[in-house]
Amino acid sequence: MTYLGLGLSGPHLIELAGNPALLARWDALPLAFTVLGIDRIDGTGPLPLTLDSSAVGASLAARTRRARFLIVASPQRDHPYNLARRVASLGHLSRGRSGVLFGAADAYAPPGERPRTAATAIDAARVVRALEQSWPYDSIIGDRETGILVQSDRIVHIDHDGVYSVAGPLNVPEPPTGSSVIGWYSTGPDGVVADSAPIDLILDADSLWRPDPGQSLAEVLAAVEKRPLRAVLGLSAPARPVGARPAFAVPAPNSSL
Amino acid sequence: MTERRTGHVILGINVLVLGYLPAAWQSPLLTKDSFVDPEYWEGIGRTAERGTLDAIFLADGPALGDPAYDANPIKLEPTVNWGYVAGATSHVGLVSTASTTFNDPFELAERLLSADVLSGGRVGWNIVTSRGAVSARNFGLADVPLRDDRYERAHEFVDVVTALWDSAATGQDIHHHGEFFDVDGRLRVPPSAQGRPVLLQAGGSPKGRALAGRAAEGVFAAELTKGQAIEHYRLVKGLARENGRSPDDVKILPGLLLSLGSTEEEAKRRSDELHDAGPASYSIGWLSQSIGYDASKLALDEPFPEDVLAAPADPQTFQGSIGFRESIVTQIRRTNPTVREYLKQTRYTGSGHAGFVGTPEQLADHIEDWFHAGAIDGFNLQPDVLADGLDVIADELVPILRRRGLYRHEYETSTLREHFKGAS
Repeated sequence: MTYLGLGLSGPHLIELAGNPALLARWDALPLAFTVLGIDRIDGTGPLPLTLDSSAVGASLAARTRRARFLIVASPQRDHPYNLARRVASLGHLSRGRSGVLFGAADAYAPPGERPRTAATAIDAARVVRALEQSWPYDSIIGDRETGILVQSDRIVHIDHDGVYSVAGPLNVPEPPTGSSVIGWYSTGPDGVVADSAPIDLILDADSLWRPDPGQSLAEVLAAVEKRPLRAVLGLSAPARPVGARPAFAVPAPNSSL
Repeated sequence: MTERRTGHVILGINVLVLGYLPAAWQSPLLTKDSFVDPEYWEGIGRTAERGTLDAIFLADGPALGDPAYDANPIKLEPTVNWGYVAGATSHVGLVSTASTTFNDPFELAERLLSADVLSGGRVGWNIVTSRGAVSARNFGLADVPLRDDRYERAHEFVDVVTALWDSAATGQDIHHHGEFFDVDGRLRVPPSAQGRPVLLQAGGSPKGRALAGRAAEGVFAAELTKGQAIEHYRLVKGLARENGRSPDDVKILPGLLLSLGSTEEEAKRRSDELHDAGPASYSIGWLSQSIGYDASKLALDEPFPEDVLAAPADPQTFQGSIGFRESIVTQIRRTNPTVREYLKQTRYTGSGHAGFVGTPEQLADHIEDWFHAGAIDGFNLQPDVLADGLDVIADELVPILRRRGLYRHEYETSTLREHFKGAS
């Protein structure tokens, strides 16, 4: 199986946040990204324990320097304006190491007012993208001569009117590294992602390694650390040539003098 | 003669992004984007811990005001912002403001308790009900609900949040069916080092105070005069007692806008220069919003007309803070200044929140005086520019308070709730 990312579940997050040695190993993993709490949206949760994904992301942003991560989100109960603020804030504070992975339903939360469908989640994703883009980073000029901090005429309303109605703009500028990566986690045929305007990345059970939540985090990290290049690339072992001429005779048991 | 108070003051910092004055961003210590720079925010946390401060606060609102001349409207999301600072610090309390009008109680309860776990029990939630149609339009609403409805929702919201925090400890589902929320379920977040986040309340309306008396462990108040502060202090402590709580369980922490210098003249010069470097419309705009009247229409050299000072037509729809308005009107009635005089005066004395311009020694006198008068349990200090103002608090004010026995020398506790209790 080939994969770029690792999907950690609730109990793994608690181990990761609570153990500096594991955290240092995680920070050095040769991976594109880690999903913080995949069991929230992949149909396997709820497990006995978890932490809020954006809260974990904020903590990891401060305590690590290299590892990249996606927080998970389903707009089941939260509103996309609040979510967009957290996503953009993480983008700044992680120095561009973060993104968000949407799913249709949050296994840890009771149902909210809106239907738990891909259509709702994708609309929230559109709001998040539009809000992040509502305030371009390079409008921040900090010109002491004119006393102008921000060329605020370049900030725009988003006037989004879909499942959600949101005027905007966001009260956080776009991160200097650009809009946050937005992913979609697909748990089955949903059709909506065909119109995937804000979706940068589609993940599913085949493209994300989701270790058994019962496996300890140390074991999970070791498995990733030891993966050889061929496995990372998803290549099978090449066939060996047959019938080649042996370079040496078959060794007989060694007899000492 | 009553006995002199024992214990020490509580010191918090209200981190108004770069500082409360609009020109704060022009400080040579800052870069153009310090307000979103992780290094800036780590520095705030580390300096606060150098001063063994109890807590740092973030105000919040889910809408953008014009940031053309001022970084104050720019707001990283507080739980993420403080979650990041928690990862770079070990003792200082981290209070996030979050609205009960624009959040969901399940989602917020889970997020705050998670942040509390991750910070080792240092999280506080400053409960606000939000105001303003601009925020409402980011949430698909034409305007915010009326004040009474917002507070009804706030009460129920707080009940649901605290029940969910309990559910994290007991493992039992809650079944809440109220006027505003239906929640069946529980949190699967482990309990934090302090059990659950500390609750704080901001705002001086009767409904806000009722919420404080019932549930809050800290009140972020707005007090301009010592007399009024003592009255409100007794009022809220009394409300706590009526709710079967100890008056010590709710700490009163008014905001205090600060410009500090090594002499009083230097402090005034600093304040003047910062005011002059900011937009002229700032003071007038702030006053207009606070009193619910367009102050640019007032004659600058006339006293305030009586109809402006009279209560707002309808407190339900008034967009400002009732607590701020009350303290401003009291201040104006006391000296009957012209509008221009008032705007100049309040450069030094504050408006809404009290202001203080002077030396660290004078500030220590002020804190000591209000503390022993029974007006406060501590202050939420709001420096003009944090980039150097916070250092003066940590390195000059705090040592003076320590010498006077009004502040601890080292952190003696590690959670926010213990910091509050340790002060009594």
